[in-house]
Amino acid sequence: MWQRRAFLKATGAGFAASLLPRQAFALERNDLVFASAIQTASGAYGAVLMGERGDIISTLDLPDRGHDITISREAGRGVIFARQPGTFAVVFDPDGQAAPQTLTSIDGRHFFGHGVFSPDGKLLYATESDYEAAQGVVGIYDATNGYRRIGEFPTYGTGPHEMLLMPDGVTFVVANGGIETHPDFGRAELNIETMDPSVVFIDRRDGRLVGQLRLDAGLHQLSIRHMAIDARSRVWFGCQYKGSPSYAPQLVGYATMDGDIRLIELPADTILSLRNYVGSVAVSADGSKIGVSSPEGDLLVAIDAEGRQPAVVETLRSGCGLAADGAGFIATSGMGDMIGIAGAERPTQSFDFHFDNHMLRV
Amino acid sequence: MRILFGAVLALALSAPVAAQTTTPSEVLRSSVSNFVRPQMNSFAREAETLSSAVMTLCTTPSAETLAEAKTAFSGAATAYGRVEFLRLGPLMEDNRADRLLFWPDRRSIGLKQVQAVLAASETPSLEELTGKSVAVQGFGALEFVLFGTGQEALASAAGQARCGYGKAIAQNIAQIAAALADGWSDPNGIAKRLTQPDPANTDYRDTTEALEALIGVVAHGIENVRDTRINPFLPKDDAKPNPRLALFWRSEQTIPMLRANVSGLRQLVELSGMVSDGALAAKVTDAFDRAEAALDRVTDPIDTALADPAQTAALGDLVVATQDLQQLIGEELSSTLGLSVGFSSLDGD
Repeated sequence: MWQRRAFLKATGAGFAASLLPRQAFALERNDLVFASAIQTASGAYGAVLMGERGDIISTLDLPDRGHDITISREAGRGVIFARQPGTFAVVFDPDGQAAPQTLTSIDGRHFFGHGVFSPDGKLLYATESDYEAAQGVVGIYDATNGYRRIGEFPTYGTGPHEMLLMPDGVTFVVANGGIETHPDFGRAELNIETMDPSVVFIDRRDGRLVGQLRLDAGLHQLSIRHMAIDARSRVWFGCQYKGSPSYAPQLVGYATMDGDIRLIELPADTILSLRNYVGSVAVSADGSKIGVSSPEGDLLVAIDAEGRQPAVVETLRSGCGLAADGAGFIATSGMGDMIGIAGAERPTQSFDFHFDNHMLRV
Repeated sequence: MRILFGAVLALALSAPVAAQTTTPSEVLRSSVSNFVRPQMNSFAREAETLSSAVMTLCTTPSAETLAEAKTAFSGAATAYGRVEFLRLGPLMEDNRADRLLFWPDRRSIGLKQVQAVLAASETPSLEELTGKSVAVQGFGALEFVLFGTGQEALASAAGQARCGYGKAIAQNIAQIAAALADGWSDPNGIAKRLTQPDPANTDYRDTTEALEALIGVVAHGIENVRDTRINPFLPKDDAKPNPRLALFWRSEQTIPMLRANVSGLRQLVELSGMVSDGALAAKVTDAFDRAEAALDRVTDPIDTALADPAQTAALGDLVVATQDLQQLIGEELSSTLGLSVGFSSLDGD
């Protein structure tokens, strides 16, 4: 494997190195297993596609910092979204045959770093900000026609972050983080006192609001941002608390399409170690365990979805990326480390780049 | 101790950022004792002076007492400008940062709310004020009271109700400033947790975490100055500047506030000894020098300055200097120290 990495680095090639024998048809052959945005040791931004053993299949250069990635077998494409308030998304061919295509958000919108394909791969959806109105929208792109933007619908809240497609294939769940930002002011958070986060279910066929769920009013400074769906179609979410730092509220909960929303009770020492910040949420392959990470607290927690209690708690410096692996999770860090937890049996590996916040399992 | 501190300050302000090797624990201790505590105390004193000046204005309204209140406003606002980047511990409790200064106010929500308070028949007491929107409680609101449309009434009995509102705001600012100073003075409070990290702490468990927090607030403070205090009013694609998006344009404190921001950040960096690498220290010193030199070239109030290409260019140079500082402190310094500041943590995503 080191030879391939050395070759890629030597050529600085990214997707230009598409003739690598293994990369061709990586998606079709199920070689491609993991994908993540990265920052290289020299400070440049990109993304990495990896095999089961952490072997690098290919890398992709990005103009600025990326965030999450979505891949559709049906479309034969992956998309990496710019970190908020970025204005680009790069559509790439995981098999390296087609050249990457850069999408630019339309005037008055920027990306939030997350998105999904429709089940048939014909449409791409992205969380975006209508920043003049301080309202979230889902941008709709036609994957069959050069990813032309063909419309949008509201997320019924401010600062949408992660969006997922429910197992029914027609309902989106979107986490409205509740925080207003505007590109005129960089990443400054403009409404901390009055923020109003929510989890919304939206019909992807017409943008109709199916349901909107909020936590208690006393928790309005708890920004709901990342999610994963368990075996019973419950939407687990992780939060970032923007209120008084001396208060450490619960940060993990779940919402259902029946209209239930609740925080689970994690033990006090676990909550304190999460440092009021959950950076990503993932579900295990069998849907029975929920992984949450805190790069602020250097903590990874695997929660038993039925018992609602931590099954495994591990530390990983600057650990944030999480994806299903084996019976548990693979976890990645801003320091370049990759480990397995909670039943994922894999050796610890270190890379000469920084993993960004999210790891995708294809 | 006081004499020693003065000597350290004088030395540090005239010498390069730092040259000697300093341990992380020393950096943390120096930050608190040489910068944070004295500057928080200074802000508390200036806020008390402001509160007294507005009270005097209300009891004996005149052109003189109004002028004194305005001067006291500038003193307290710039004292806050030196510490407002310290967004950890006491300043982040109870929405204090927003209550002291709600900014940016993108849709002029604060201005509309302040005007509504001024138009109401009842003047809010301090207790009533603290229950209202953060936007009507702090420096932004008080600036409008003292410098905005209708302020001339404050020089006579005609401005009694307006003055009463101003008095409540000034008391609120003084109360919050005192709480910040007390919070940092508490021998068992934030200062202890930051300088003597302990696994049993709810916030800082080890020196790495404490140092990440400290360097993180510096890096984000610089970013915040650039993104919310300079860039919004500079000319963009349409080449038109927008001085109304400048903080404190009414009181002509835009540039003094920027100067206070840069000065506070610089003093913390220098007095803490956080940059121990000689080459990096020289680059940091140079970038701060360029930022201050750029501010020196802006000699007019912000609306006039933005009509002058030379002064607008100076503000552009200030942006470049802050970008360099963010890179030097948020990336180079943190990577030198083996910290993860500025990448996957501390950036809310």
